[in-house]
Amino acid sequence: MIRTENLTKVYQMGDAEVYALHDVNLEIQEGEFIAIIGPSGSGKSTLLNMIGCLDTPTSGAVFIDGIDTGKLSENGLAEIRREKIGFIFQQFNLVHTLNALENVALPMFFAGVKRETRLKRAEELLANVGLGDRIYHKPSEMSGGQQQRVAIARALSNDPEVVIGDEPTGNVDTETGNTIIDILEGLNKEGRTVVVVTHDAEIAARVGRTKRMRDGRVLD
Amino acid sequence: MRDKLLMAYRSIRERRTRSILTVLGIAVGIAAIVSLMSVGYGMEEAITGELTGYADFIGVFPAKITGTTYVELGSFTDRDLKDVQRIGGIKEFSAMTFDSAEVEYRNKRVPIFFISGDTKELESMYVEPVGLKEGRWLRENDYKGCVIGDRVANDYFDEVVHVNDKLIINGEKFIVVGVFEKASTLYASDIDPYIFLTLRATKEALQTDEINYIMVRVYDIEEAEEIAEEIKEAINDNHGLDDFANAMTMGSMIEMMGDVFNIIRGVLVGIAAIALVVASIGIMNTMLMSVMERTHEIGVMKAIGAKSSDVLSLFLLESSMVSLVGGVVGCVLGAVAAKVISLGAGTALGIEFGAVVKPEVLLGGMVVAMVVGVLAGFYPARKASRMSPVEAVRHE
Repeated sequence: MIRTENLTKVYQMGDAEVYALHDVNLEIQEGEFIAIIGPSGSGKSTLLNMIGCLDTPTSGAVFIDGIDTGKLSENGLAEIRREKIGFIFQQFNLVHTLNALENVALPMFFAGVKRETRLKRAEELLANVGLGDRIYHKPSEMSGGQQQRVAIARALSNDPEVVIGDEPTGNVDTETGNTIIDILEGLNKEGRTVVVVTHDAEIAARVGRTKRMRDGRVLD
Repeated sequence: MRDKLLMAYRSIRERRTRSILTVLGIAVGIAAIVSLMSVGYGMEEAITGELTGYADFIGVFPAKITGTTYVELGSFTDRDLKDVQRIGGIKEFSAMTFDSAEVEYRNKRVPIFFISGDTKELESMYVEPVGLKEGRWLRENDYKGCVIGDRVANDYFDEVVHVNDKLIINGEKFIVVGVFEKASTLYASDIDPYIFLTLRATKEALQTDEINYIMVRVYDIEEAEEIAEEIKEAINDNHGLDDFANAMTMGSMIEMMGDVFNIIRGVLVGIAAIALVVASIGIMNTMLMSVMERTHEIGVMKAIGAKSSDVLSLFLLESSMVSLVGGVVGCVLGAVAAKVISLGAGTALGIEFGAVVKPEVLLGGMVVAMVVGVLAGFYPARKASRMSPVEAVRHE
């Protein structure tokens, strides 16, 4: 489903070149639940941003569903982000002027889904994460755990094959963290590929496969 | 589209105070343009509309007129007058004197301009539109009678001058037989500071027979230009000069005034345009701040699948909405301001004219507002749309 080939990302820091990613070769099968762990600065998030098509590599390639993302135009990348990938951020990253329903419907809006259809689907998705009674609340009126569940519902709005989480439990308490892991597990059972970056041993223990990273390299 | 509008509206409302100030900036710029142009059109219409009533007039001066300067070259001779009267197509003919004299009333002396000419002609030119407040109009044989304008009666002397009062003009006693109403129209307002005399009075009492203005009325307005040329040639021949006489048809005067008004309007619009440039810098500033504040939000939108064009259109929509509202408010304010200004100016100058708010000026104002909005919004919007999603998301 996802494959990286000698994926390298170099940042120029003054005179020094810093390798955020160094020849990363990683293959993730369809339907897999994988956790990438490692200390801060090991390149986990950079890898995730590459897989999520938010960032472009210095060299090497990312294939999603067999498509070489390096060959895609900016609009092509936007389409992959919109249709194939659901991204969950540590900071939730909801649009604060929109209510929960509108936030969840936003990716469908960019996909050109009809208003009635997308509001109906957004309502269902919010009900699925247990927020059926909070659909008109603004992010500022919700707890961290509730916001993260809205973000998960949003990630699912265009029914993506891949769900990517960048420390999805990093900003919530343990109990909510467990709920979020339950939800992610459920998504994986539905057949979705789930990739998370985490510091959370709980997640690491519950997923099918973990990959360790250090200094921009994936350890075997 | 409806949703994009809604989103744009939300983010405008989110920054309410700043948005209102931006709207106000545009509104003032547009209001300035609309009101100044409407007042300009109003003035022009008041003057040319009135002059159109005199379209069969040709004015002849022994003077060179270049731009706004008027250089008098002398006086018309009896032969000039006879030659002009001989030209075909002329319905009425009247020779006049414009000059100044020292006028005394109850021990106060003031230099005042006087007009003397054919009483019937003067009557149709001035008495009909303005009207007399007291007394009667001059008769051809009024040897020592005069009619005075409103300012002569009320402003020039320590005491108000009435009918039957005596004025001493160049040492000769004259009796006031009539007093004009205050002229309330632009064109005739210049009669307020004048004294009107018969030709006989100027010739015999003041001993001037200088004819420095000939007024001609033609039968056919179409022929006016042609007749004006003939008059000029005839008089110039008499004086052996190329440019002694200047004959202007009312049509060319209206045209000349039209040119003057175009210049005035141009200057006014130029001033208003500066206001608009300032306003558009305001929009650009607001939008740039908005883009900077929302860098993170833009990143999120792109991360969940927004195309650059989606972001661009959202921000453009926002700036267009702000400027559209600014345009509407500006047009309304401008129209109201134009009415108020014209009322105020009319009262202050003692003339009657109303601002003319043309639909095309309002439409133009709206178009300008929209263009300003889109142009000023474009740079910030493009900046927003080109952000890299990963960097924008990282931005807090």
